[in-house]
Amino acid sequence: MAAVATCGSGAGSPGSAVATASKSNVTSFQRRGPRASGTNDSGPRLVSIAGTRPSVRNGQLLVSTGLPALDQLLGGGLAIGTVLLIEEDKYNIYSPLLFKCFLAEGIVNGHTLLVASAKEDPANILQELPAPLLDDNSKKEFDEDVYNHKTPESNIKMKIAWRYQLLPKMEQIGPVSSRFGHYYDASKRIPQELIEASNWHGFFLPEKISSTLKVEPWSLTPGYIKLLQFIQNIIYEEGFDGSNPQKKQRNVLRIGIQNLGSPLWGDDICCAENGSNSHSLTKFLYVLRGLLRTSLSACIITMPTHLIQNKAIIARVTNLSDIVIGLESFIGSERETNPLYKDYHGLIHIRQIPRLNNLICDESDVKDLAFKLKRKLFTIERLHLPPDLSDTVSHSSKQDLAESTKRLGPGCGMMAGGKKHLDF
Amino acid sequence: VTLSEGARAGTGRELGMLDSLLSLGGLVLLRDSVEWEGRSLLKALVKKSALCGEQVHILGCEVSEEEFREGFDSNINNRLVYHDFFRDPLNWSKTEEALPGGPLGALRAICKRTDPGPVTIALDSLSWLLLHLPCTTLCQALHAVSHQDSCPGDSSPVGKVSVLGLLHEELHGPGPVGALSSLAQTEVTLGGTKGQASAHILCRRPRQRPTDQTQWFSILPDFSLDLQEGPSVESQPCSDPHIPPVDPTTHLTFNLHLSKKEREARDSLILPFQFSSEKQQALLRPRPGQATSHIFYEPDAYDDLDQEDPDDDLDI
Repeated sequence: MAAVATCGSGAGSPGSAVATASKSNVTSFQRRGPRASGTNDSGPRLVSIAGTRPSVRNGQLLVSTGLPALDQLLGGGLAIGTVLLIEEDKYNIYSPLLFKCFLAEGIVNGHTLLVASAKEDPANILQELPAPLLDDNSKKEFDEDVYNHKTPESNIKMKIAWRYQLLPKMEQIGPVSSRFGHYYDASKRIPQELIEASNWHGFFLPEKISSTLKVEPWSLTPGYIKLLQFIQNIIYEEGFDGSNPQKKQRNVLRIGIQNLGSPLWGDDICCAENGSNSHSLTKFLYVLRGLLRTSLSACIITMPTHLIQNKAIIARVTNLSDIVIGLESFIGSERETNPLYKDYHGLIHIRQIPRLNNLICDESDVKDLAFKLKRKLFTIERLHLPPDLSDTVSHSSKQDLAESTKRLGPGCGMMAGGKKHLDF
Repeated sequence: VTLSEGARAGTGRELGMLDSLLSLGGLVLLRDSVEWEGRSLLKALVKKSALCGEQVHILGCEVSEEEFREGFDSNINNRLVYHDFFRDPLNWSKTEEALPGGPLGALRAICKRTDPGPVTIALDSLSWLLLHLPCTTLCQALHAVSHQDSCPGDSSPVGKVSVLGLLHEELHGPGPVGALSSLAQTEVTLGGTKGQASAHILCRRPRQRPTDQTQWFSILPDFSLDLQEGPSVESQPCSDPHIPPVDPTTHLTFNLHLSKKEREARDSLILPFQFSSEKQQALLRPRPGQATSHIFYEPDAYDDLDQEDPDDDLDI
């Protein structure tokens, strides 16, 4: 994109000066314009597919995960060819929301979807996708006061400190971008016509496997074999791996696999510590990553890692995935009544970020992140300690906070950490 | 609804939760232990659903049919459809009445029934099935049975299936128990104190927060459910009688806490650099015997009092 810009800018560059000087001759300085639809796109050309953008850091093509805050934390988005693994929370309430935002983003951008599940019919999953916010709450124009829309409850326009209106109210992660990444309303369903206009493929395991097959201990479980064959067929038939060069418009395939590793897929890693097929899941992820790397696709997988009995499998699964995010919800735990966490519904742990064609990875400096699901929006915020107003706050509440801040990382400030119940 | 809100709910809603276990459908897991057995609660729920007019199927694997039917009166016994896997689990007698496919085949056959109407299936017990079948197969079969009616408009009472499974949680490791409880819509854990049984009910609706509640109950001899209030508060034992909490602040040689008088004295202390109104008045008020302020200085031997300005040497 930068190369094309300098060729076209005109006055400054010497190449075009020569071109303008001798317009009638055919000079050796040829202006390179965009070629016609891709017969043989070789070289470092930037593929312009809707809903993707190149990363400014390592040049990979990125797609949005459906949550702009999460895109910011992952360094701009999910790179094409990689796997995003979400470790589910204990009662599986918030991870389906991330899963559905990813799929809804695919529908809004016109990508092809592949939804695989052993629990719910993919058609039902698609009916429950959240509706995109595309009207006045969308962030199409930068010059308006767009940040006010994020906090609809405070409509105070500041008169004196009017520059601060442009800053986000709470430290919400993520700038607002218009065409890459959309916001979704979790309380509304996606309109039916968007689903019908989209191209999607579903894989529902009970339909594909009717009888119980005999499984050799060294191979994958039959559910995984079928899923891999299905994904490979779709990639080949629809040309996501470049095998059909007559395709006029390149598109991205978004794959979503729900509850991988649960017993409903036929995998017993959640049931037993040393099962007969304990390598099945890791082999599946290895083959899946091979399929993804050779095609224009991105994959999201949710996995109930809190049920996996063998911790070594979790470590292997983490190594075989590219981005790993863990969700920890406060429901049912003693953190729910903790005053420190009263505004939030859970914590987000970013366990792994990939290094794609890079020596360093794009780590954000914020390690303590919390999420909350408001009625409409799912927001990710930096976990703040409440301000320590030492003259007015009584001693007892300070001690409650002091005990709970022991769990926070160093990024959250050490001012209240470490204080015991001491009066001096 | 947070956990604490659920516990403080009104009595009408509390009493309703154990009663309405069957109306939610899906898999209801009854987790019992050696001290608090769950078969009587299972039979009470079976009796309740039989009295509601639902079809009730029993897969009896752990106890004999006579023992299970004991205590039910005849109209309930006539409504129960009993599949007996206790007498001949491996089908050695090869009679025609043996169902093909074992317990799972029986489950699938119940699913393929053609007549509408809510069905309750009682599994006695899930522990037996877990010990005889692979866990993944059992989970897939239970999921298929309990979600059989999941069409887009799935709130219709026609064809609603409830599966009551009795699980002895001490027999299994955390793996199978965790896998089954993640599949279950409702989980009832039996416990209690001092002769009073309680059921901790955790209800997971598909996209909502789970609600939980503790309900004290007792089972009457004719297997009807008697819901009760909990025992009185002062009879609750302390949290862990085996390990007394160790207080490291005892037997110290220095004082960690302040007494009340000391705390009051500390709070009323005025800090030296705090400018309060008394200090302001004290400064503003003219002191007796001192009209102006003077500075008296006596130079000693080492002082170099030179009246010249040292900056005069500079040529700028």
